[in-house]
Amino acid sequence: MEIRIKDLTKIFPGNPKKGIPDTHAVDKLNITIPDGQLVGLLGPSGCGKSTTLYMVSGLLEPTDGEIWFGDEDVTDLEPEKRGIGLVFQNYALYPHMTVYKNVAFPLTNLRLEEPVLGPDGKQRVDVDGKPEYKKRKLTKDEIDKIVRETARIVQIEPYLERKPSQLSGGQQQRVAIARALVKKPKVLLLDEPLSNLDARLRLQTREEIRHIQQSTGITTIFVTHDQEEAMSISDKIVVMKLGIKQQEGVPQDVYNDPCNKFVANFLGTPPINLFKGRIADHKVYVGEDCVRVITPEEVESAKKLGRDLSDQEVTVGIRPEGIVIGGNEPDNFRFKVDRILTMGRDIMLVSDHEQKLSDTKFVIDAFTKVSVGEVTCSVKPHKCFAFSLAEGEPRLI
Amino acid sequence: MAVENTPVTEGKKTNPIKAFFANLFKPKERVSADAGEKNNWKAWLYLAPTIILLAVFTFYPLINTIFIAFLKNYDYVTQSHEGFTFENFGVVLGLLGKSPDGMIPRWQCIGFESDGVLGHYLDASGAQKDAYFTMDVIRYAFPNTLIITFVTVPISIIIALLISIGLNSIPAFQKMFQTIFFIPYVTNAIAVGMVFAVLFDYKGIINYLFQLGNLTWVDQGAPTWRAMIALCVYIVWHSLPYKILIFLSGLQNIDKQYYDAAKIDSAGGFKTMMNVTVPLLSPQILYIMITSFIGAFKEYTSVVGLFGKSSTDGGGTNNMYTVVYYIYDQVKGNVQYGAAAAVLLFIVILLFTAIQFKVSKKRVHY
Repeated sequence: MEIRIKDLTKIFPGNPKKGIPDTHAVDKLNITIPDGQLVGLLGPSGCGKSTTLYMVSGLLEPTDGEIWFGDEDVTDLEPEKRGIGLVFQNYALYPHMTVYKNVAFPLTNLRLEEPVLGPDGKQRVDVDGKPEYKKRKLTKDEIDKIVRETARIVQIEPYLERKPSQLSGGQQQRVAIARALVKKPKVLLLDEPLSNLDARLRLQTREEIRHIQQSTGITTIFVTHDQEEAMSISDKIVVMKLGIKQQEGVPQDVYNDPCNKFVANFLGTPPINLFKGRIADHKVYVGEDCVRVITPEEVESAKKLGRDLSDQEVTVGIRPEGIVIGGNEPDNFRFKVDRILTMGRDIMLVSDHEQKLSDTKFVIDAFTKVSVGEVTCSVKPHKCFAFSLAEGEPRLI
Repeated sequence: MAVENTPVTEGKKTNPIKAFFANLFKPKERVSADAGEKNNWKAWLYLAPTIILLAVFTFYPLINTIFIAFLKNYDYVTQSHEGFTFENFGVVLGLLGKSPDGMIPRWQCIGFESDGVLGHYLDASGAQKDAYFTMDVIRYAFPNTLIITFVTVPISIIIALLISIGLNSIPAFQKMFQTIFFIPYVTNAIAVGMVFAVLFDYKGIINYLFQLGNLTWVDQGAPTWRAMIALCVYIVWHSLPYKILIFLSGLQNIDKQYYDAAKIDSAGGFKTMMNVTVPLLSPQILYIMITSFIGAFKEYTSVVGLFGKSSTDGGGTNNMYTVVYYIYDQVKGNVQYGAAAAVLLFIVILLFTAIQFKVSKKRVHY
């Protein structure tokens, strides 16, 4: 089921008497989520990603805008009629019910609509000529079958008779997913599904979520503040800040081609290194070092987009993995290594660069010979960006 | 229950601030063994006011009551008695009657007057003599107490539950209503009883509202069952506020996400209440159930407040007696019977509470 979010807005009213302004939690958000995809809503806390999710679920009423599930406008539809499954951040498993009862609970409320058959075996019609339907509850056997089937998918079969408190975090998480899946929802919504798990379990569970999503083919939205988590399993990510969508796209594209300083800074661990710099004569400088040459093609395309690449002060961003040690050319980047942190797979150089705007950390291959002190390196052009000094402006290059 | 697991299920993370303070106030490991002993008298000093008050007004009377219950012909002025006996319990239960020849068991009587108090027996020489039995406990006090307990406790718990769920779901004026509902709790039971006595007067507003003519409820001549209705209405009303307070605070501690989850799972209002609210509130419900059972077994002030005495049927019988009312009346001259009744009441309450704990073990989820 394709989900379309049109101009979605949520304003939490403030208190004018006390001088508390309205909060624009979500501001004119437009997202289209193709059928069967897993989309990550990503942003720092307070960016409106959970608010968006709860509006899609129907638990929060939008101030303005529309939500479409396929051809159906669900904006004003009750949550239970939307055909969604929701996994809460802390799972909200009923602590007094066994796992089995937790998973079966949505099914006990479900009403099946079945055609009423006449004596001739055909569907009966009422006086207006409309086909007749009757609603019925699911039988115990039907419920049992579905519960066990779902339990098999999320691998919680051995724990069905336990209480949630007797399960580990990861198991509870899977129970919560089972409860959300058991109604065969058209849309699955996950609110920070991994935040209560430890690091190792998080890695494992996110693979499982991806696996479950792919095997069921349910359109899924999940909310997270962990960019690594979002990038690793999403078909598409949407980066938000203060209720406004910054960028959406395939994770790698967003990482390689961030639209502004916020997105560049938010994606990636360790985060991008920011320096005070300038553009002079189509070269990007940090201090006296030229870190990047702007090619004529880039100048051409920037002109088309209306971006100003004339000589100016800029913020330069270099990805931690964006340097190659060595070289002695005139456009080389020099910095002083203060500390070397061994990470195992690679090593991290920590520097106190005088032009730095954030902590300067570079990650290089563990076999590279490097020692504390001055080093010279060349910067990979596609790992180096320049941003205008004004906040929220699109990336220059 | 597994304490270390509950934070995850309850949606409460371990609060780092709390953890810090818990660490701060954790008793320090004793460096030397005598440090504790030296300061022992200080600890006792701090505890002394409470311990002395408890000892004088709780522990001593408690033990002394049990002691007195086994004394024969105890005189509380002179503290004299004639040895130990089980007779007091027999008298309270109406099994032993007083006669010129001492205590006569009920089964040795050859006949009774209609009220069962006056019995006739034949003495050793074959002459018919009279024995007087105490029937107030068996006939009135104990049945009345049971009726009060099993009528008012369930009704008041259900009403309090509904009111607190209702209160919890209205965001506006919640604090105001909370206060209004709590007012009866701080009002004196006797004063409330007098108000109810006016309401239930034969010329009162209840008769007027329901067009019942001049029915008597609390005045002389009211039959026991009608007086009991008035009494139960009063007790239920007066016991609501405390229950609402406890339930409301319990409800406010239930994570809202459970309700969101129930909503997504398309559970209706009643189903949500029975499957989510009540089970998650079960610790509070158990607490309220046990305390109000005990409270109802000890009901006494309400009778005094509503009727002013233990009789309504005009016949001079103690038809509105409760067990504690009987105990109180015995203080005037038969302390040992009051003490025996108190011990019996204690055993009954203990039994019921034990049963409740047993039954609730499966149904209460902490």
